[in-house]
Amino acid sequence: MSHSKLASIFNKDEKRVDWHDKALWFVRHKRDKSVHNVKGWEELRNLGHGIKAHMLSNLDNYLIQFEENAKKNGVEVHWAANDEEHNKLIVDILKENNAKKIVKSKSMLTEECHLNPFLEANDIEVIDTDLGERIVQLAKERPSHIVLPAIHKNRHEVDELFQEHLGTKPCDGDPQYLTGEARKHLREKFISADAAITGVNFAIAETGGFVVCTNEGNADMGAHLAPVHIACMGVEKIIPKQEHLGVFLRLLARSATGQPITTYSSHFKKPRKGTKMHIIIVDNGRSEQLSRPDFRASLHCIRCGACMNTCPIYRRSGGHSYDATIPGPIGSILSPGKDLKKYSTLPFASTLCGSCSDVCPVKIDIHSQLYKWRQIITKETPQPFIKKQSMKAMGKIFANPSQFEIVGKIARWSLRNLPKAVINSKPNAWGKARDLPLGPKQSFDEWFKERENEKKS
Amino acid sequence: MGSRNQILEKIKSNKPELLDLPNIDISLFEENLDLIKEFTKKVEVVGGNIVTANSNEDIIHQIEKIFPDSKVKFSNLENTQSFNTINLATLHKPHDLENLDLLVLESKLAVAENGSIWVSDNEIPVRVLPFIVQHLVLVLSAKDIVPYMHQAYDKLSNLDSDFGVFIAGPSKTADIEQSLVIGAHGALSLTIFLKE
Repeated sequence: MSHSKLASIFNKDEKRVDWHDKALWFVRHKRDKSVHNVKGWEELRNLGHGIKAHMLSNLDNYLIQFEENAKKNGVEVHWAANDEEHNKLIVDILKENNAKKIVKSKSMLTEECHLNPFLEANDIEVIDTDLGERIVQLAKERPSHIVLPAIHKNRHEVDELFQEHLGTKPCDGDPQYLTGEARKHLREKFISADAAITGVNFAIAETGGFVVCTNEGNADMGAHLAPVHIACMGVEKIIPKQEHLGVFLRLLARSATGQPITTYSSHFKKPRKGTKMHIIIVDNGRSEQLSRPDFRASLHCIRCGACMNTCPIYRRSGGHSYDATIPGPIGSILSPGKDLKKYSTLPFASTLCGSCSDVCPVKIDIHSQLYKWRQIITKETPQPFIKKQSMKAMGKIFANPSQFEIVGKIARWSLRNLPKAVINSKPNAWGKARDLPLGPKQSFDEWFKERENEKKS
Repeated sequence: MGSRNQILEKIKSNKPELLDLPNIDISLFEENLDLIKEFTKKVEVVGGNIVTANSNEDIIHQIEKIFPDSKVKFSNLENTQSFNTINLATLHKPHDLENLDLLVLESKLAVAENGSIWVSDNEIPVRVLPFIVQHLVLVLSAKDIVPYMHQAYDKLSNLDSDFGVFIAGPSKTADIEQSLVIGAHGALSLTIFLKE
């Protein structure tokens, strides 16, 4: 289904849309307050961009260096070309270790690879331990935001879910009580887990170590209790040196939620005594994206979610309307690289206002890339007849000033004089759920000329 | 091996021409912070409590006042053995720490700009300790506070450890309707004792 169709489903509940819009805008506001206090923030963003761009230009060598150092640290390193291989590798490791109960902390990569259903099909229990992810797991949904996975749910829905699945008491959606119950429920899972799966925020070529950031402490509770720790990373998570963490950890949480740093920034290097640590390095389309000069900067992404929080379309259409693992502006430039046809409507889910590029901590030119995808999609995928014809007609009108003037006059007159039923009739997509402004009597051109004449006289 | 070589080959042929690695010029960020003041402010922002202390004895004394009901306790401060109710040497598996009420650890590095404190395998006898404990207490000397993460990593380049973590405040979540709840999976509270 197209983005606009899925968005119209989310838009049926006006109150929820308003709440969603305001809640995310508030997070954006917290980000602003936080970054304005950092001296040299723009230089920090430039560094983030420069380090990532350099990393991509030498990625194969950094991956080799990372693998070598990780092995020296006693970590087993595996490589997966795609989602299927990733999932199979994990199941093999789990079976080798007789692991039946798994706790998993947030990893958009394992979402991308659809790991959970694959584990369940292999009779392995997998529990998402980030509270938001646990909520969507219980609801049999996918995260709608990469940092705030359950932002589309209200407290009463969580209350009902927990009553049904965790046996909690009705509490009118009290977040304190519900979080406390989730803590108890998940402690049991942590204590009894046979293996822990985590994502990777940054992998350091120089040391072979990797960093995982959480606020809840769930990655650490999993990894430090279970006898096996599997960390899954996309190839682009590499950074050359440990000192670069100084740049990225300053950028990440401030951009994500406005916090100066996440509660826990855990630096893993060697497994603890008597336990095993595995790293799975995954390509799954990333090397393909690397080949596209216009789009390779999308691989700089550090998954902060700032572009979602600021996006006027995302805030009003909800993450599920993108029907992709990574929603929002960054998702809309990543997804078409994987499946141009399936995701052909995503680059159009934007006003091209550029706010996403302005807040991006690693300066990805997101809105320019959205525009460039549109050029490709319009050429390579079939477009609706009406859109094609109207674009052609408009192209002709805009190319001819006197025609443009006449059409403008008619449009302004129509907006002033035609009944609403006609203006907001079906063929006018701009009139859908929206009152159009009253047509002004003058065009800008007329107003400007009049003003110039007045100046002279 | 899996698809190792195939992935590396593909990256090699698809990557752009080599770009320079930028240097980090720390002077761009320098603003002469009052380190203790900034650190204290940021600890409060991230939800921690900060208390000043003179000696380890003083710290233990204050802890017993702040947490009068804690039963299972462990400290790695010098000369505080009588405080400990568990013996980590006889611990079979980390899971047995589930009932730990109070943990006191010493740290050698903290960051003013974000209120975070570094603890590593060198200070943590069992990795899960600072996460599984109900109430975490970290002890720090004011001289070990650095202004920014850049200086923190500069110091860490000489402090090699197999595992280490920057901790900023108690564990927290806002996953239910964006309401902040302190106490997710890790510690429910964080108290920092600052020695001048």
